[in-house]
Amino acid sequence: MNAFLRKTAVRLAMAALAVGLIFGVWNLVIFAFDLKAYALPTPQDSVATIYDRWSTYQPLMLQTIKETVYGFLIGAAIGFCLGVAMAASKIVQRLVYPALITSQAVPVVAIAAPLAILLGFGLATKLVIVALWVFFPVVVNVLDGLARVDRDLLNLARVMGAKRTRAFFAIQLPATLSPLFSGLKIGATYAVTAAVIGEWVASLPYGLGTYLNTAAASLDARGVWGATILLTMIGITLFLVVTAVGVVATPWERRSTARRGIRSLFINKQKGARRWFGSLPAGSRSESQSRPR
Amino acid sequence: MNGGSPKVLVDDVTVHFDGALALDHLSLEIGRSEFVSIVGPSGSGKSTLFNVVSGLQRPSSGRVLLDGRDITGETGHVGYMLQKDLLIPWRTVVGNIVLGAALTRGVRGRDREEAAALASRYGLGEFLDHYPHALSGGMRQRVALMRTLALDTDVLLLDEPFGALDSQTRLDMQLWLLSVYEDLEVTILFVTHDVDEAILLADRVTVMSGRPGRILADLPIPLPRPRDLDVLTSPAFVELKRQVLGLLHHTPAAAAAR
Repeated sequence: MNAFLRKTAVRLAMAALAVGLIFGVWNLVIFAFDLKAYALPTPQDSVATIYDRWSTYQPLMLQTIKETVYGFLIGAAIGFCLGVAMAASKIVQRLVYPALITSQAVPVVAIAAPLAILLGFGLATKLVIVALWVFFPVVVNVLDGLARVDRDLLNLARVMGAKRTRAFFAIQLPATLSPLFSGLKIGATYAVTAAVIGEWVASLPYGLGTYLNTAAASLDARGVWGATILLTMIGITLFLVVTAVGVVATPWERRSTARRGIRSLFINKQKGARRWFGSLPAGSRSESQSRPR
Repeated sequence: MNGGSPKVLVDDVTVHFDGALALDHLSLEIGRSEFVSIVGPSGSGKSTLFNVVSGLQRPSSGRVLLDGRDITGETGHVGYMLQKDLLIPWRTVVGNIVLGAALTRGVRGRDREEAAALASRYGLGEFLDHYPHALSGGMRQRVALMRTLALDTDVLLLDEPFGALDSQTRLDMQLWLLSVYEDLEVTILFVTHDVDEAILLADRVTVMSGRPGRILADLPIPLPRPRDLDVLTSPAFVELKRQVLGLLHHTPAAAAAR
């Protein structure tokens, strides 16, 4: 546990160092080009702005978080279901894949405004835009994960007498988990951007994206950078949460043993031995022959 | 053979693939608790034969009987193991061993107990909760074999199970399989390219011809059990090996044995 704490401390220190580095370069640029505060405020000033205007920022931030998280979850769910459906049926795949590519080739910024005309200036438009951005990496990764399941493993399941549904739940579905989380991590970083663009065209209720628009229009550089830092933090937090859930959901990727579940406490080797070795005299010859390596 | 009805009967099986003949009227009888090795050149249809017996491949003609019952084209009656271990990365050693139950009737506490007992008995007692990636190649193949043993069947088809292992590990695994086989009442069909392996393990070595697959010869291996390393250098073993190699490579010794 001590080693774990030390490793965590080192990682946190490295992360802090990375942030410090960004702030350092930021300050350096201001110093080198002699930028005035109304053009580019220092990071210190920007962070201070967040404190100063917290009562303004807070409700806006909650609104943007809501759009980001809901849109992300909707996009992820749609992406996952589509991926599974496309893997299950070649026909669905041939029908849906061109539509998928089209949905990504259409510039979201371009259809954002028409979407707002269609769906109104409320939450719906923003959720659609975020989901549209998030679902694609999820579909592609889930599809990839399902395609990579070894045919021989599925044949083995058949030889064992498995029904298709059982094999699906025991072999194919869990195989999507690792790629699913790769897709979700990409989606998590897109989601905030999508929410901001959504707010630019569908501004009700106000969020940080709306605030960015009005602050930029009034040349309020401090306000813009304060909001930008908050948006960045939302994105990073969502990414970290997704990563953490992924670590818990796929323990085999970094652990060599399973967390000892309650079930394994009840495994009684002696009782189980009866089926196999019930008739054997104790200490029979295989004892000396089987050589653990 | 132990007399009585055969455990597995491959009866006049022919398999065509897109017009090409893979198996040509092949018949094979495997007795109860018999260990039969099948050797033959690549493309002689050994794996096709396994696919037919396991039910994955329906033969163009002929049938497969298990305990006298027709199981042609039906899966779920025999255990099957390949050169690839095909362990499931997110299941532990015990979880992989009980896969058969998980895929058919659902895992019960008893299955886990039996799996744990089996793993402990054969040198994996400390690895019950390990994921496959944390095991060596040899250990993974052991788990794969235990998974096959844990099925509710006593016929095992092993298709070059040790083909991907280094020679040292392979020899260890062969000796280990001998001890498992001698402990348990199972019937084993074993495909291999390795003549030493075929003879060391089996009661009978069946030599197949190149495409289309036919049986060239059926050689009893009367070496006494339990067998150990010394068998490999005994005169009887060397003579049997000479015969099998002769059959495989069509030398005069082959003609004499036929």
